[in-house]
Amino acid sequence: MAIKRDDDDILTGSIPAPEDEATPAERAHAKTFADLVDKTLAGRTPPAMSADDRALLEVATVIRAASGNAELAAAKRNALVEGALRQAIGGKAAPTGDVTPIAKARAKRTPWIVAGASMAVAAAALLLWLGAPRRIHVIDHAPAALQDNWKSRPADPLIGPITRDHAGDASARLDTIFADRLDGYRELRMRGGH
Amino acid sequence: MRPILERYAQPLYGTVILPRLGDAASAEEVLRDTLATAVEKIGRFTWQGKSIYPWLRQIAINKVFDVHRQSKRSRRLADALVHELPAETAPDTHADAQLMADQERRAHRTKIDQTLDVLAERYRLAIELRLVQELPRDACAKRLNVTIGTFDVLLFRAVRAFRKNFGSDVAEDDHGD
Repeated sequence: MAIKRDDDDILTGSIPAPEDEATPAERAHAKTFADLVDKTLAGRTPPAMSADDRALLEVATVIRAASGNAELAAAKRNALVEGALRQAIGGKAAPTGDVTPIAKARAKRTPWIVAGASMAVAAAALLLWLGAPRRIHVIDHAPAALQDNWKSRPADPLIGPITRDHAGDASARLDTIFADRLDGYRELRMRGGH
Repeated sequence: MRPILERYAQPLYGTVILPRLGDAASAEEVLRDTLATAVEKIGRFTWQGKSIYPWLRQIAINKVFDVHRQSKRSRRLADALVHELPAETAPDTHADAQLMADQERRAHRTKIDQTLDVLAERYRLAIELRLVQELPRDACAKRLNVTIGTFDVLLFRAVRAFRKNFGSDVAEDDHGD
């Protein structure tokens, strides 16, 4: 018994003549196929379709490709070349269209190299400082007392009693508290405090 | 090596891989694998005054058949487009990728035309208008003086008929190149 291939199912039957009336089922299938062709021509071939439709669509694509209608966009081509180079040097090829050029990837590493070098210089400076003779700094005055709006404090004076009508406005109350605390923080930072 | 890969990517995709697979996503994967293999094995390529393209093309064709084998798909499309192109360009002609690609494209087109010739006139027209000229469905329907629904049926039957006849003279098991 001959083995039936997946892509033979719809196509082994006889094909009606052009003028023959189509059945509703054939019209429906033809419409589905026409939509697939539309999407393929627009470069949006759906990943999922029946094996029969896929077999027909492959034929349509072969006809198009053989007629010279199969241009690879420059961006896609570059992405594929990048993917191939990555694959060849042992990295996993990124999905098409989402490839970072190797030169760009190297460029991305540059800030980290600079940051690493800076850290090393800073560490060396710290070691030199620790090894240097110590001088004792005498604090000649105690720090002034902080203002209230720079310290941790209850929010009750700011919010006041919460009436039942406004019980659901928690978000607005949080905003008010946040703005108030931010004011204090900014004031402290602007004057050079820590 | 990047400029070489970029230069040959389009002819490999458009004339070697996609026409033998019929699926753009698979064709892109095969192209990437082909180029990666070329980079890995470039040491095995001996330059003898000939273009590197035939070597790349052969890698691509082997990959296409690997895909057909792995996915257990029919090799009918690939087999239908077997052509007796020279495996390597002649040293005295220095034929380049574009020349070979053009030659291969013409050979593909000849096979397509041979298959179209055995179809009913309206089926041939439906394929020409929609898949070769890529006219919108409504324009195709207007040219054939039918409704869009009827044109859809015509194209559906035309592609079925084309597939039935395409490469029907090629045995399943022999593939050259």
